[in-house]
Amino acid sequence: MSETKTIRTDYLARVEGEGGMLVRMRGGKVSEVKLRIYEPPRFFEAFLRGRQFTEAPDITARICGICPVAYQMAACLAMESLAGVEVDGQLRALRRLLYCGEWIESHTLHVYMLHAPDFLGVSSAVELAQTSPEIVEKALRMKKIGNEIMRVVGGREVHPINVRVGGWYKTPTKAQLEALVPDLEWALEASEETVRLVATLDFPELEIDRELVALDAGGEYPIDRGARLISNRGLDIPISEFYDHVEEIHVEHSNALHARLRERGSYLVGPCARYALHRELLSPRALAAADEVGLEPLVLNPFRSIVVRAVELVHACEEALRLIREYEEPPAPSVDVVPRAGFGHGASEAPRGVLYHRYRLDDAGSILDAKIVPPTSQNQASIEEDLFAFVTAHASLPDEELRLRCEQAIRNYDPCISCATHFLTLDVEDE
Amino acid sequence: MTVVIGVGNELRGDDAAGLVVARLLERKVPDGMKVVCCEGEPVSLLAAWEGHERAVVVDATRSGAEPGTIRRIAAHEGPLPPALGTSSTHLLGLADAVELARALGRLPATTVVYGIEGATFAAGSGLSDPVAAAAERVAAAVLRELNGAE
Repeated sequence: MSETKTIRTDYLARVEGEGGMLVRMRGGKVSEVKLRIYEPPRFFEAFLRGRQFTEAPDITARICGICPVAYQMAACLAMESLAGVEVDGQLRALRRLLYCGEWIESHTLHVYMLHAPDFLGVSSAVELAQTSPEIVEKALRMKKIGNEIMRVVGGREVHPINVRVGGWYKTPTKAQLEALVPDLEWALEASEETVRLVATLDFPELEIDRELVALDAGGEYPIDRGARLISNRGLDIPISEFYDHVEEIHVEHSNALHARLRERGSYLVGPCARYALHRELLSPRALAAADEVGLEPLVLNPFRSIVVRAVELVHACEEALRLIREYEEPPAPSVDVVPRAGFGHGASEAPRGVLYHRYRLDDAGSILDAKIVPPTSQNQASIEEDLFAFVTAHASLPDEELRLRCEQAIRNYDPCISCATHFLTLDVEDE
Repeated sequence: MTVVIGVGNELRGDDAAGLVVARLLERKVPDGMKVVCCEGEPVSLLAAWEGHERAVVVDATRSGAEPGTIRRIAAHEGPLPPALGTSSTHLLGLADAVELARALGRLPATTVVYGIEGATFAAGSGLSDPVAAAAERVAAAVLRELNGAE
């Protein structure tokens, strides 16, 4: 009789949302891996039909409490591109600044509160607060600075209300932004210390070479926008051709759709992909921080994504400071956007990776159809592949440790399950 | 200084119970007290009660009790019962925020949590009938507490 076992977690902690994982083993070999996502899918896409094009940024922002700005930006860009309008200059600089705030909030939350406990041998951020309060205090302060940017630029800390198609309802004064500088300078140094801290963590061995996909923003590190989608294996397409190259497949065990590159297979979006494709475009101190800890240009070990995320934290702080320094109050808070019938495409780099929106409008600007492809659904297949490879290589680990390592492997991707279905649980199960 | 914090997600059925209570209280709380809404993400919760001597937090629960069941818990006296399921839609939830704050010495001296047992947390807006009725009762109870001698 061959020995079978199953690792199973029904309720996966420290990911945004709810979901589950099942790894089934037979005779020491992995026979099945499933990442399960439970949310009622695609609720928002249906909810958008019949709404005005101007409502999409605020409606889609509600999909996620962690990355609302990503949704707002992708929605605005889609509507603007269809109308033939480009929001540029200081109006655009403010968008990038707001987005830096979201990166600071989200990356800090993930690095310190969700991911670091795995490496530091504590079960949760609460335990970390008991054993190393200074680390958690620092994280709280960093995240608060992200919140402050969101409040000043976006009008509110969660779900900014100041974003509109065409720009803003009200733009901040130079003085309001300059007031953020001292805290941001502290955060920049704190983020450099974060890189040094996380680089010393003990990483499980795993190397996976796969296609890495990120936006290309033409000469700058992609955050708030990008006209093209590129990869380390030759993909280079305008985002309007997204669905010509990406297919979404419904798998029975998950409510989120799995995305694959047609005829190429699974791919990875997120910090490791952005860093691999655009390392040289990082801000000077972010690049210096990466060099200082010897972070390789191509990070193949998904557990080391925490270091990349910390490097991006440095970048977001330094970039926010640059944007504030160069800010000049714009003459008008927005530009006119006149809707027309057709398909509009927009994409931005959510903290977890590429977020793509496509809308079809009628000539009155009413939404006929909406498609939203969040980063976590694009990474689902890669997460399952990682689990398969990791459990195969570490099958002899005691069950409990294996289960914890598998959970950690999922958290490498900072999965935002509430986005992806729009929820996640881990199952290693003995049959 | 007192803050009332409604926790929840507007678009997940009865998860919005805390937000509904907050809105019912918005213009009714005594002078000098404020009402805020929060999605339940711990860092935002910590920020929401920072600097306050008293926090009254209202959240939906998922314990398997009868929908609309109301519980009042003095969180400053000890951890929230895990069975309440106040982790809501984000897995680091209210219970974690309370413990994080306690570990860091950032929990208001009086922290009261009202839990309203939800019936449905599926995507979609609007409270179920028993939860809507319970939200009204909790709003009234919070108001009595804020106006009272305690």
